Order: sequence, then C-alpha cells, then structure tokens
Amino acid sequence: MGESGILWLRVAAGLYSFGLLDAIITVIRRREALFRVALTAFALGAVFQLVAIVEMGMAQGRLPVNDIFETMSFLGWIVTVVFLAIHYRYNAASLSVFIFPLVFVMTLVGALRNPVSPWSNSVVRSTALAVHVVASLLGYAALLFTASASVVYLMQERQLKRKNKPAPNRPSLFRVLPPLGVLDDLISKSLGIGFLFITVGLVLGIIWAFVETGTKWIGNGSVLIAFVTWAVYLALVFFRVSAGWRGRKTAILSIIALTCCLVTWIAHAQLQRRLLP
Amino acid sequence: MKLFVAGLSHKTAPVHLREKFAIAEASLPKALQELQKLGATEAMVLSTCNRVEMAFSVPEPVQPNDIFDGFLRNWQGSANAFEGHLYRLESKEAIHHMFRVAASLDSMVVGEPQILGQLKAAYAVAKSEGTVGGLLETVVTRAFNVAKRVRTETGIGQMAVSVSYAAVELARRIFGSLKGQTVLIIGSGKMGELAAKHLHRSGASKILVTNRTHERAVQMAAVFNGRAVDYTSFTSMLHEVDIVIASSGAQHYILNRDNMQRAIALRRNRPMFLIDIAVPRNIDPAVNDLDGVFLYDVDDLEGVVNANIQERSKQAQAAEAIVLKELDQILTRLKLEEVTPTIVSLQGQLEEIRAAEVAKALRRMPGLTPEQVQAVEALTKSIINKIAHGPISELRRNAGQPDGSQAVELIRKVFHLQA
Repeated sequence: MGESGILWLRVAAGLYSFGLLDAIITVIRRREALFRVALTAFALGAVFQLVAIVEMGMAQGRLPVNDIFETMSFLGWIVTVVFLAIHYRYNAASLSVFIFPLVFVMTLVGALRNPVSPWSNSVVRSTALAVHVVASLLGYAALLFTASASVVYLMQERQLKRKNKPAPNRPSLFRVLPPLGVLDDLISKSLGIGFLFITVGLVLGIIWAFVETGTKWIGNGSVLIAFVTWAVYLALVFFRVSAGWRGRKTAILSIIALTCCLVTWIAHAQLQRRLLP
Repeated sequence: MKLFVAGLSHKTAPVHLREKFAIAEASLPKALQELQKLGATEAMVLSTCNRVEMAFSVPEPVQPNDIFDGFLRNWQGSANAFEGHLYRLESKEAIHHMFRVAASLDSMVVGEPQILGQLKAAYAVAKSEGTVGGLLETVVTRAFNVAKRVRTETGIGQMAVSVSYAAVELARRIFGSLKGQTVLIIGSGKMGELAAKHLHRSGASKILVTNRTHERAVQMAAVFNGRAVDYTSFTSMLHEVDIVIASSGAQHYILNRDNMQRAIALRRNRPMFLIDIAVPRNIDPAVNDLDGVFLYDVDDLEGVVNANIQERSKQAQAAEAIVLKELDQILTRLKLEEVTPTIVSLQGQLEEIRAAEVAKALRRMPGLTPEQVQAVEALTKSIINKIAHGPISELRRNAGQPDGSQAVELIRKVFHLQA
C-alpha cells in the first residue's frame, strides 16, 4: 500500500471531522449552523479518499479491500458517495447527523493501518490515555442524565395523559416533576455533549491502541463493545434529531445505550490495568 | 393594652351586607381617625370584596366593644345594623384571626395570594396616618411573616383552583416556560377567551384566532395583538401552534385524529396542548391517544381543579399548625413585654432603697476595710434580690392572664411604683 495513499486517507478523515462537529452542534443547538461548511468538507473528503483508494489499488495491483482497514475505508467512501447523491436528489440534511460521524470513524479506522513510530515520550502516552478515559467517562455521565431525564419525561407524560386522576397513595410526587419542555431541553443538551465526549473518547482510544499495539486491537472484544456503544449512541442522536423521538422511544434507547456503556466500562476497567502497569 | 378585631366576611355575611359595610379606599383615613376619636390607641381597617374588618388596640380599662359600637353608630347609622353577621374577637382570638387572614386560611379560595397584598395596603394606610405603632403593629408585621412562612413551607398557593388558571398550570407542566409559545383560539366562547388571557399574561406571545365569522376573529385578535386566521384553512397550520383552545359553538368535532397526526408529524413530535372547553366538544377525544398530544376537556380541567382544592385543604391543615405555633410564640413575647416595665421599676426602686441605706450605714462606720465594704454590698444586694424574687415571678406568671392586670396593679401599689 502506498504511503501517500494513507496520507490522503488521513486528510479525508480530517475533512470528515467537520461533519462530526456539525452533527454535535445540530443536536445541542437544534439548528444546522455548520451544515454547508461540513457538506463541502465532506465532498472534498470524498475526493481525497477516492485518490487514496486509487493509489492503494495501483500500488497493490488489485482492488484494496483485503483486510478490515481497507474494507472499512472503502465502505466509508461508498456511504459518502451515496449520501451525497441522496442529498443532491432529496435534500436529506437530517440524515447527515447519522452519516457524518459514521463516515468519519470508518475512515479514521481505515487510516490507522500502517504502523507509526511509538510514543515520543511517556507523558504524551499517559496524557492521551487519561484524556481518552476522562472523555469516555464524561460521555457516560452525560448519558446517565439523558436516560434519567427520559425516564422522568415518561413519568410526567404519563401523568399528563392520565389527566391527574387523583392517585390516593402517591399524589404529591408528580407535582414536583419538572415540565416536559425542561426535560426535553435537558435530554437534547446532555445527549449532544455526551456524544461529543464519547466520540472524542473513542477516537483517542482508537489512536492510542493503534500506536500501542499496531493492528492487533481490531480483534479485541472490549474495543468491539466500545464501537457498539458508540453506534447505539449515534442511533439515539440520529433518531432524536431526524425523527424527533421523544418519550418512550428515547427512554428505551437511552437505557440500552447506558447498558452498553456499563458493559464497555466493565470491559475496560481491566484493560487499563493491563496497559499501564 | 388589649387587641380587638371586629367586622364581617364572606363567611358571616352575604354580599349585600358586605358592600353596605365596605369602606372606600379614599375614606380609610377618616375611618381610622374616627376609631381613634372614640378611644382606640391604634387602628387599622381592611376592606375588600370578601371582608370588612377593623383591628384596634385599647388601653386596659376601655371596652373595645363600646368603641366598635360607637363606630357603627357614627359611620353606619346604627349599632344593630349588622348584628348577627359580625364577629368580635379579643386578645388571643384576635391575633389568631389576623394570622389566619394573612395566611389566606380564612379566604373564600383558601391559599389565594391577594389577601396578603390587601392587608399590606391596609397597614400602609394606617402607617401613613400614624395610627399604628405599638401592639397592633407588632401583631400585623408578625402576621406578614406568618403568611410568608405558610406560603414557603406548605404548597398552599401553588395549585390552580380555577378552570382557566388550571389550563395555564398544565401548559407550564408541558412546555416549562410559556414564553414564545403560539396559541390558537378556535371560536369565541367566554371561557376560551379567559384561558387565552391567562396564557397571554403568562408569556404566550403569539395569539392566533379563528372563527366562522371572520370579523369576530379579527376583533378578538385585536385584543391580544394577535392575528386572525381563515376558518376554512386553519387545520393546515396546526403544526405551527403549541396550544389550541377550542370554544366554538360547532355541533361536531372540528379537530380529529387525522388533523392532529399530520400536525404532530410535521412538528417532529414536539408536544401540543389542546384545551377543549366547548360543549358539545370540538375535539375528538381519540387524539389524546397520539404521542405528544395532551387533550383536556372541561371535565378534565375541573378534575384538576378539584384535585387541587383537595390538596389545598390538606396543605391548609399544615398551615393551621404553623399559625398556632406562631400564635404561641407571639403570646409569650407579648406577655413578657406587658410586665417588663413593672419588673424594671420594681428592681430600680429596691436598688435605690438599698444604695441609700448602705451609704447611710457606711457613713456611720468609717473604719471598714474595702473587703468589708464589699461584703456589705453583696449582703444587701442578696437581700433585695430575694425580696424581689417573689413579686417578679408572680408578675411573670400573671402576664397575659385574664386577672393578670389586677395582680400587676396590686404589686405596683404595694411597692409604691410610679405609673
């Protein structure tokens, strides 16, 4: 595989990161402020990725889909092109909340195949790991807020639907529940901020593992579960923004995401001890 | 000094008597002066649509009932005009009553907040006329604190007890702040207009009005600085509306499940609050099954009001307990304040005698050492403290008792204390 091919792929990943930023801003502020910039960066990224794929193909003399890195990159490029085509035809901006972060992570994984030099010093190494852990934990904490607010939302919604029929044994609890509007705002903000942190955590985790262990991390179960957690989080963000999911559906999905986080955390609590003796 | 409260309220007199007894705001200073002319030391008059009462303090031998009767005669023409509808309360009962009134426990709608403002206004008039500044002032200002305590420690004033205000309360539970919410009024029913007024005052700034007669919609929209919407096409813009108030005279449903399903999908599931105060109902009850749609009809709103009233009466019990506790505290304080001057002058009198006698004795015994002089001082002080102990405890014990003033008077006489 050509060295410059990997370089173009990394440039593409950098451009795709604008899309990730746009997705996060859209969730938190509920408007697509960066969408035009992100879309342009996204189209440029697709060009760079195509160059990378062509170069790699020429260097190898065959289609570069031989391992998980190459297939991931190739799939990411296909998704990008299909999204751009759909957007051109149907103006499907809301899909971008899902597609932008997904393509970014796929391309990032694809760009992390070649071994790089080991950590220049141990401080950088442990700082990277610490930021990864803290960002992930902040992401989990934010999700905890999302999930609790969703459950309270469900309770308040049910109470309002039941029209406050006097419940003789527990009448006062529901009087103190926050309004749906406030809960909804809390869910949006905590979801956006949590997604930002968990994505930063994931990206740093991937880079860290890549520098540390080369390509071996791909088969690691705890890494896989981290990806699944991120994907569930992404789905939650997507359905919330594009379909306006509220109430029951958000509550269920956020509880699933929270469970995934718990599993990831349990899996990684061991990992850190192993990595930093 | 004795406190007295007399008057009539929604509990004792029908409205035609209350309005006859009512004292106009402009006449309040004159009424206060009248009470003072009749012998009251302090006076305050509270006159609202549900209550007309006067509170005043009088020195001990004066009969407050005479002052009140005199006031009725001079002001209303006869002392018997309102007999059977009046309450007359003295001392402890009077203070208890004032605390309960301030805490809105004696109001027609228990927990309504206006009464405290009215009481404060009455106090302000009395203050500016210079008719408060002693026992009455102590009790009134304490009553303000009691009211505040009741309001913060119980939920008595938090729940809506009218249908139109219940709608605002529900809207707040759904949207949080009503600022910037859009309200659509369908029809021109009075109740609908009232609910819209409350919502508008609570921050819902954008008001749309639709009516089969477009001119009426335009008229009502002008009241709210809103916009009239064409009746035939209002369903197409439902998704822009957060709150719908339906109060039209239509004999069939004008909003059905399909309308709402489309609107809620276009709003991407952002909640909508539908208030149907029309009879027969304007909105198909089945829309309440849709996610994000909250439909309340007249019965539902009345159900909320009834539940709130029940809750308020429960909170009122807690409030009564607070009032009783505060009553105990102020009575203890007042009792002590009542006898304090006598105790102070008794101690002063005894000390004066002691100091004079010691000085006389020391002049006759010039050879005493400083230690011996100190011993004489200590001995005599101890004697007068022992003598004073009996009468002082008797004064404290008798403070505030019905016959207490006689005991105080007796002690003052026995020790030749100046009045």
